[in-house]
Amino acid sequence: MSPEDRVGIVGWGSYIPRWRLSLKEIAEVWGFSPEQPEELGVVEKSVAGVDEDAITMGWEAARNALKRAGVNPREIGAVWFGTESKPYAVKPSATVIAEALGITPRAMATDWEFACRAASEAIRVSIGVVASGLVKYTLVIGSDTAQANPGDILEFTASSAATALVIGPREESAAYFEASATFVTDTPDFWRREGAKYPLHGEAFTGEPAYFKHIVGAVKLLFEKTGLKPEDFDYAIFHQPNGTFPLRVARMLGFPKEKVLPGLVTPQIGNSYNSSALIGLSKVLDSAKPGQRILLAPFGSGAGADAFSIVVTDKVLEKQNKAPKVEDYLKRRTLIPYAMYAKYRRLIHRIV
Amino acid sequence: MVRISIPPSWRGRLARYRLVATRCKDCNRTLYPPANVCRACGSRNVEQVELINEKARLITWTVIYNVMDGFEDRRPVILGILETLESKVKILAPLTDVLPEELHQGMIMEPVLRRIYEEGEAGLIHYGVAYRPVLKSE
Repeated sequence: MSPEDRVGIVGWGSYIPRWRLSLKEIAEVWGFSPEQPEELGVVEKSVAGVDEDAITMGWEAARNALKRAGVNPREIGAVWFGTESKPYAVKPSATVIAEALGITPRAMATDWEFACRAASEAIRVSIGVVASGLVKYTLVIGSDTAQANPGDILEFTASSAATALVIGPREESAAYFEASATFVTDTPDFWRREGAKYPLHGEAFTGEPAYFKHIVGAVKLLFEKTGLKPEDFDYAIFHQPNGTFPLRVARMLGFPKEKVLPGLVTPQIGNSYNSSALIGLSKVLDSAKPGQRILLAPFGSGAGADAFSIVVTDKVLEKQNKAPKVEDYLKRRTLIPYAMYAKYRRLIHRIV
Repeated sequence: MVRISIPPSWRGRLARYRLVATRCKDCNRTLYPPANVCRACGSRNVEQVELINEKARLITWTVIYNVMDGFEDRRPVILGILETLESKVKILAPLTDVLPEELHQGMIMEPVLRRIYEEGEAGLIHYGVAYRPVLKSE
């Protein structure tokens, strides 16, 4: 029995803010081609409100995950918060969430950083600490109010959302891990220096040598380890920086687009960084059926990717309606103008 | 911008994060903010309860256009008085994710964790509960 076999997802939950910005408006403001949104395969992006940040969004996603898990918060042994938009540079976000959810004080709590895949590595480590018996449950949160330099191509997609998973014993799980693999190299495709307000990136360099190479690398490692093939999976969920990359990487690996579309959320809300692939998983679990197999492959710049094979159990059905679904948050949407978005996301510099 | 004294803010964090209140075991009233002595009957026989899982009904609200220093980016600030559905406690809290014209008396709202106040760019961020319209009626 592998460590993965003993561990699963006991609860899951997501959060998307109410506000949306149409990508057409970004194109108008910054003079891009009107076709730009279509080329990216994204229509709108979600925008966190003025009183929201990665902590408040992570809190709501975690609350939804705990509702589905049905576990006493005091039994959570670790709160691991993956983000690249920490409200404090120094002072953990994880402790605020742990305190607000009644998990403190007997728990580990740390913020993780690896661009968009910090929370994904926390899932792999959770498998280790749960399988070893060090803790019974971990709470992994991926939450970002992604930043982009105004007028940069990244601004079209950098959005806000959060997803959380309660990871614990397989017997209590809605879906268990079958196998996992990670593929990392030193690749400078996207970065933000200490003190810099916005990240920079290598334009076209973010594609082939970064996103595609690492996801294909991780998924092939998973296939080698398990002997599984694309035909064995019902869903394939990849990191979704835009609406086109996940479909392209699926083609490269031999997955038809029908297996990708159910977990593809980016066209409606943009790229929520640490929640990007995970919100796809959350949406798929919201309506998955027992026995189905899911491929989850998050990616983070810098660069690395993970691949997880996840098998849905009978317990998924009793948990699906215990908290709001991704679809409920997708339906709650109100468009705001660029000026309001600029205020909410602090793109307008004020003296305070 | 006002700096809030750290010790009292830190001591009050559970009341702000989880709506920790006190219930009087003698007269059965729930008090928020929490207190060691029942404000209704004077009894010290009180226990802690949390109201974070209760929805609430909006009783009244005010839309504030002349805001305090540090709240300019939230203008207009909407403050509401709500009554929790089960323990019938009245709570004064900011309302969020809602436009003034969408509010109505009796509206069912739910508590969410939000940034309530931040001390400029370098100071502390104070988190606490705000109420928003229920996402989904269960």
